Amino acid sequence: MKPKIAAQSGTFESSDVIILIEPLPDHSGRKLEISSTVMQQFGESFKRIVVDMLDQFELTDIHLIAKDKGALEPTIKARLETAIKRSLGEQEGTM
Amino acid sequence: MTFEDTDFRQETLDLDNPFDVKLVKDFLFSLGFEFEPSEVECTMIVYNLKGELVGTGSHLGRILKYVAVAPKFRDTTAFALIVTYMTEKLLKIYKHTFVFTRPENAVRFRGLGFTEIASAKPLYSLLEFGFESIFTYQDYLKTLQVQVKTKAVASMVVNCNPFTNGHKFLIEKAAAENEVVYLFVVQEDLSVFPFKVRWELIRKGIAHLKNVVMVSGGMYIVSGAIFPSYFLKNETVSDVMQKQAELDVQIFANYIVPILGITKRYVGTEHYCKTTEAYNLAMKTILPDYGVEVIEVTRKASGTGVNSLPDYISASKVRKAIKNDQLEKLVGFLPDSTREFLFSDASLDIRMKIKAGQGRH
Repeated sequence: MKPKIAAQSGTFESSDVIILIEPLPDHSGRKLEISSTVMQQFGESFKRIVVDMLDQFELTDIHLIAKDKGALEPTIKARLETAIKRSLGEQEGTM
Repeated sequence: MTFEDTDFRQETLDLDNPFDVKLVKDFLFSLGFEFEPSEVECTMIVYNLKGELVGTGSHLGRILKYVAVAPKFRDTTAFALIVTYMTEKLLKIYKHTFVFTRPENAVRFRGLGFTEIASAKPLYSLLEFGFESIFTYQDYLKTLQVQVKTKAVASMVVNCNPFTNGHKFLIEKAAAENEVVYLFVVQEDLSVFPFKVRWELIRKGIAHLKNVVMVSGGMYIVSGAIFPSYFLKNETVSDVMQKQAELDVQIFANYIVPILGITKRYVGTEHYCKTTEAYNLAMKTILPDYGVEVIEVTRKASGTGVNSLPDYISASKVRKAIKNDQLEKLVGFLPDSTREFLFSDASLDIRMKIKAGQGRH
């Protein structure tokens, strides 16, 4: 599967993460840009969460930007799932 | 500590409604801004359940404007809320968003994930956020890069509104003096001749110059027209203009020069336009530090005009002539591509527009 539209979830607040997703042309694979205030400590586990979630939704040809300000794992997962569902057109934004 | 988030409500204002405009105008005035509804496309406000105005944000195109939060609520998440709301809306349409702010406030936007690309102290910082960034533009530049044997790599930025013999002369001169010339064409469509038309006229006009590479200016070359003068009411217009020019030149020096290995920048001397004059000054101050020589070329004249002074070729004179139906007098200014275009039906819309008095100058 690939995303249909550009989508965003989360906020720029402390203890939260903002996720941006946009579709890429076919066969361009995944382009992940992850930055975090706690990159050194939790960067690896953050990347794993993102990749696992994308695998779960079988997503390719996706550009994902994550800017994290120390969100906990459940928060990251919730934000990711929302962004993915929005980009697939399965869920509307509330804002 | 105030209660936040769940207490905050957001609403988009109706800018045609004078009461809505007054609401945000009064609020911003108390914070030292002068709100000008014609400078924005959309305005949102945040208020709490007591009906107090917490903050506001607006945008024009992809640029965030008038983002402000009342002092009482600055320890809340209101600022993040406003910026998130705006970026979410804008990133559905555009690939990235920009914000101009005072350097002392840049840190707040950086804290929200924005990246600072340039700063002209003490007035401005420019930050961006989104799917694309200045690095995307650098990747585009890399695809155009030409391998060179010498250090004679020149650059030039032109708007060509429209393309004249003056531009052609300048480009030909640079092409003769250098191994390669990168010709940046301003992409922003604020001129009366649209980007596509300007690009085509130049392309046809310089087809004989094999060492000139045309580069589209993207979002990063002369974004001067986005002039965020509103939050600088204590500064004079010329100061603002100068700083704006510095910002542009800094971006050029920091992000474009190193990618293409540019060592020279050609500019025409300026007699007509204050903005261009400010740019030339900024270039002469900043570029030499980055190993780029600024070469000012005296404008080409076409015979003599009033008071036996040289009649300098300029695109604004061409536009003026179109307005006054005297284009025949200026054929000497026009290269083949532009002349054919202006005397054909294809340019009818543009000529009508100029006659109606729209566009810059």
